[in-house]
Amino acid sequence: MDFAWSDQQRELLDAVGRFASQQLNYNVIENDRDSVFNHDAWKKCGGFGIQGLPVPAEYGGLGMDPLTTVAALERLGYACKDNGLLFSINAHMWTAIIPVLYNGSEMQKKKYLPGLCNGTLIGGNAMSEPNSGSDAFSLATTAIKKGSNYVLNGSKIFVTNGPVADVLVVFATLDKARGPYGICAFLVEKDSPGLNVARKLEKMGVRTSPMAEVFFEDCEVPEENFLGKEGAGSFMFTNSMTWERGCILASAVGSMQRLLETSIRYAKERRQFGQSIGKFQRVADKIVDMKLRVESARHMLYHCAWLRGQRKQVYVEAAMAKLHISDCWVKCCEDAIQIRGGYGYMTEYEVERELRDAIGSKLYSGTSEIQRSLIASLLGL
Amino acid sequence: MKQRQSVEKILVPFKSVPDPNDNAVAGATASTPKSVINPFDEIAIEEALRIRERGEATEIVGVTVGAPAVDEQARAALAMGVDRAIRIDDSRALDPYAVARILRTLIEKEAPHVVIMGKQAVDDDSNQVGQMLAGLLGWPQATFVSKIEFLDNKTRAQCTRETDDGLEVIAIELPAIITTDLRLNEPRYVSLPGLIKAHRKPIEILTCEQLGVTVRPLTTILFASRPPKRAAGTRVDSVEELIAKLRQEAKVL
Amino acid sequence: MAETLVLIEHDRQQAKRPSLHAITLAQRLGGEYALLVLGHGLDEIAASLVSYGACAVVVADDPLLAEPLADRYATVVAEAARKHGAKTLLGTSSTFSKDVLPRAAALLDAPMVTDVVAIEAMDGSILYRRPINAGSMLATVKVEGDRRVLTVRATAFEAPAANAAPCHTERFTFDAASLPDGMQLISREQRASNRPDLTEARVVVGGGRPLKDKETFERLVGGLADALGGAVGATRAAVDAGMAPNDYQVGQTGKIVAPELYIALGISGAVQHLAGIKDSRIIVAINKDPDAPIFQMATYGLVGDLHQLVPQLIESIRRG
Repeated sequence: MDFAWSDQQRELLDAVGRFASQQLNYNVIENDRDSVFNHDAWKKCGGFGIQGLPVPAEYGGLGMDPLTTVAALERLGYACKDNGLLFSINAHMWTAIIPVLYNGSEMQKKKYLPGLCNGTLIGGNAMSEPNSGSDAFSLATTAIKKGSNYVLNGSKIFVTNGPVADVLVVFATLDKARGPYGICAFLVEKDSPGLNVARKLEKMGVRTSPMAEVFFEDCEVPEENFLGKEGAGSFMFTNSMTWERGCILASAVGSMQRLLETSIRYAKERRQFGQSIGKFQRVADKIVDMKLRVESARHMLYHCAWLRGQRKQVYVEAAMAKLHISDCWVKCCEDAIQIRGGYGYMTEYEVERELRDAIGSKLYSGTSEIQRSLIASLLGL
Repeated sequence: MKQRQSVEKILVPFKSVPDPNDNAVAGATASTPKSVINPFDEIAIEEALRIRERGEATEIVGVTVGAPAVDEQARAALAMGVDRAIRIDDSRALDPYAVARILRTLIEKEAPHVVIMGKQAVDDDSNQVGQMLAGLLGWPQATFVSKIEFLDNKTRAQCTRETDDGLEVIAIELPAIITTDLRLNEPRYVSLPGLIKAHRKPIEILTCEQLGVTVRPLTTILFASRPPKRAAGTRVDSVEELIAKLRQEAKVL
Repeated sequence: MAETLVLIEHDRQQAKRPSLHAITLAQRLGGEYALLVLGHGLDEIAASLVSYGACAVVVADDPLLAEPLADRYATVVAEAARKHGAKTLLGTSSTFSKDVLPRAAALLDAPMVTDVVAIEAMDGSILYRRPINAGSMLATVKVEGDRRVLTVRATAFEAPAANAAPCHTERFTFDAASLPDGMQLISREQRASNRPDLTEARVVVGGGRPLKDKETFERLVGGLADALGGAVGATRAAVDAGMAPNDYQVGQTGKIVAPELYIALGISGAVQHLAGIKDSRIIVAINKDPDAPIFQMATYGLVGDLHQLVPQLIESIRRG
């Protein structure tokens, strides 16, 4: 495994860093406080090429391999402080773009992928329900064929990008009795009859990423919007979840790197009791631990992406990456606050927000408990 | 009388400089110091692109003088949208007058209708090359420009300049040298699709020999050192304490 | 014949005082030096320059030179330098000298060194020290060749004494027909101000982005400057935001100031701004961020909300 970047990769990563630090870091404190989604930043990211990173050029993307993609997202996380924006972008990439890319018909791919890649379309995913979170496949939203339409009934919760999405990938069941094999997916456009995107949900963190409950009341979806093959819904979901687990925390690694660097700077400049606080072992140790976490998180991220680029199965690596990086991120944020003392608690210093954002990472894309459960079963236990 | 419908060719000289925004913490990252297009030259490229987008120019040529490593900045210029990028291969440490003399021969070869470039490079801060080029070519110049408009069928340019006394507006005949100041525009960022397309466009490499110019720098930096740092001062807790210190200690009030 | 020719800048009424500081370098270089002024209607200005120890005040006075257009001015300056056999052509850094002198240097086939802050002699030649990288480094530069052009930082050299025996003034004639005429002045801003010139003031108050808008900027930064009889400066961010005009900008690509007292209001201390103020004798910083870099170099630092503190400060100063 050689992670030495080529000149072209390096230029690409530097361009991402420069773009993000200059274009995406405005009004973050206010938008977080007021739970405002930055449409302008989203469009800029689309025009810049972020959303389409892993998508082949023929569908409007850049056709980057998985390792380059996660490295770019890592750099994005390093340079962009708006974790909510990045969370929305990630949800869009792994839960909307990937399912369409891998399971869509040519017509569906040509219809949706270019817009999903260039920022003009926002995608989301509706899987979780009030009664099915970790136990995803026990979902209860039904789909019934009626003429040339499917009719959906049910409700979904925690729909990231729900309030702003142009198209949602919605999972429903054609026949609950068939269990996972009854599950199927649809591309549901906003303003579809019977689609009700309800109130925006207030969250602890990633508040600039909009989320809503979504209700389907005899929602009509044309049959050409059926995604993939009948009976393959749960497999589609598992596939896109594996992508998601392996990639969604790439930007978290970048955020951790930023926390490490700013904490080092702070520890050198802040003086108490006649010396810089970095000289005190209890402070230095926290920073050393942060450094260890950043390095190990990064290795897991890259390794999983590299294996995927080699077309290897990455079920266990993706779960490990997701579990470990989320753990590391939360701990790094806690340490970053602690190092700054009272200032760390202040909104202005932008580290308390990082912790609020990070805690979500142990919950979405499968809770840490589920990741452990997965790894255990993949280890044969 | 000069008749012209469009400014046709704009030449933009640009320099590769260490990234002025790079404040990486030593030891925390393994990254090498980054280079970027000199911010003022980026503004020049952006202006040229906007002029072309308005339909007032047809070709934008970027040119830089340097070692092969600066091809990265030439690619960034292509990624922003310049049509052609030229690197004059020269790895020596040059001074502004040497650069001006080299660029002069390239300008004579390319015959652009206007040259737009940054007023100064943020590493050297000399602010000389544009003016020297104008002197060598015998062309009009507009320096520290914050606005450019073309007049009279694009035979003249009206430029607003930022001077020590405020804003000044001059009109200059083309061809001319225009150097950009900060507030001329905000450059677009390089997009990834642009960067990938740029990798497919060739960078034309020329040598001083091919251009028929032999120069050597007449000024040399022998060494550079950090100036003595100001000692950190003291904190005061109130307006009253500040005034007392300014009066009694500093004796400046 | 003079070894050194010093270009003096004026505002049509009088010589600009900072431009005289280049004379001090001319004196240090040794040898004879002449002063050069260009313009129209220069009798009074020329007369004011005779006591600075120059061997002559050279006056290029012509209606065609009424406006400082770089192509004409550089041609005349270069001719004057050639005629006088000057080895060194000097000026004080300003947008005027930066516009004219590099062009003149090219016409003289001479290299140029910008913003000299000090010189030292080594092995019989002179080395020039100048700031680079937004002033974070000082470069020591060697120059070769028969002729050279230099600009000096006014803040790095004292004002010259005007106590020498008066020298003569001489008219410099040139062929008007040979002057380039591809440039034309359309208009120039004329802003009257009661405040001292930014580069000459004893006290400068600078404001940054936190001043919110033009009105608040003038009320707080301008108000404090007026209470202290000082000048007003601004960061690039404040000028970009339209709070202050471009000629208030202090920093790497704006003006360099070195007053007795510089008060920085709501200025975090970006390297590019610090480049313009670090030679001030006393720096006071008022900022609500205790970790703002400016506190590393401020003589006195006050952490707090400038919108509360500055009115208090103005009030206290007015009360005396």
